[in-house]
Amino acid sequence: MKRVLIIIPAYNEEENILDTYKSIIDYNKKYKTNYDVIVINDGSKDNTSKICHENNIPVIDLINNLGIGGAVQTGYKYACYSNYDIAVQFDGDGQHDVNYVKDIINPIINDNAELVIGSRFIDKKAEGFKSSFSRRVGIKIISHLIKFASHKKIYDTTSGFRACNKKIIKDFANSYPSEYPEPVTTAEIIKKGYKVEEVPVKMKERQGGESSIKAWKNVYYMLNVSLYLLIIKFRRYK
Amino acid sequence: MSKSLIITLVVVSICLIIITSHYLKKDRIPIKYSLLWYLFSLLILVVALFPGLFTIISKTLGFEAMSNMVIGIIIGLLLLLTMALTIMIAGQKKKTILLIQELSLLKSEVKEKNK
Repeated sequence: MKRVLIIIPAYNEEENILDTYKSIIDYNKKYKTNYDVIVINDGSKDNTSKICHENNIPVIDLINNLGIGGAVQTGYKYACYSNYDIAVQFDGDGQHDVNYVKDIINPIINDNAELVIGSRFIDKKAEGFKSSFSRRVGIKIISHLIKFASHKKIYDTTSGFRACNKKIIKDFANSYPSEYPEPVTTAEIIKKGYKVEEVPVKMKERQGGESSIKAWKNVYYMLNVSLYLLIIKFRRYK
Repeated sequence: MSKSLIITLVVVSICLIIITSHYLKKDRIPIKYSLLWYLFSLLILVVALFPGLFTIISKTLGFEAMSNMVIGIIIGLLLLLTMALTIMIAGQKKKTILLIQELSLLKSEVKEKNK
């Protein structure tokens, strides 16, 4: 039996974190699975930490705000130190559905892939939340850039719903970009020669709170990610 | 170069040397960065004391006036210094992130054990 850890980065998620945690616990009971959970509280200013401690949710309180990359990496470090076989990245805002966790860890259990990305755009007929038009255009551009940098087509480039095996956990624990982690690590992982797969998932719209990517930051985001991926194209990985 | 400009440059140079030495004595700048500042001060001093030398160089390099070249050199050095500082800050940030992560992990582990 593979040990699975679900990493939930949370920054000011007091409205969603308890529901997210409960959905996983209910799922564990219903399907007799054994997914462990760790919430990484990224120095939230609201009651995220309090809610976690009151409800016995396993949580690591970062003593200062690190941003999404640093928070997620803490989760990978925890997974690495605690010797987990599979780590699943899962948003604390209610966008991700625990019912798909088995779909994204299956390719790893069956040794078909080492990094699996939950993708909104593979199954074209599938319904569910697919982001705004401008966001989709951005994701498409990044998709082309990842293809350019790593020679593999990835459709949902900014998906934060993904799973990886022990080797990649160790890799991420050692080094993880503090900014724009999803597209960047995907390209790097492919270049390092790991097997990457996308599986279709449905996502919901955020249940409450505020997304970490604000509209006015999008152009700046695209500029940074594009440059980053361009650099990766010319970087050498062993 | 006018006499008053020479005096200004000499004064600036000496001030820089005094400031650098002051912070060095108080152990506020590391030796390797103080060297850079001494080099700056010396450069300004040399320009002030041997303007003829620099007039020739600036003419050869195509500057219209020697003072332009001096300013150009200083801007170039400052850009280099800023670049070095950017790299240093990035390194510091990485170390801070590592510290926050490891300390937070440790703290939560201790808390768990004391429950």
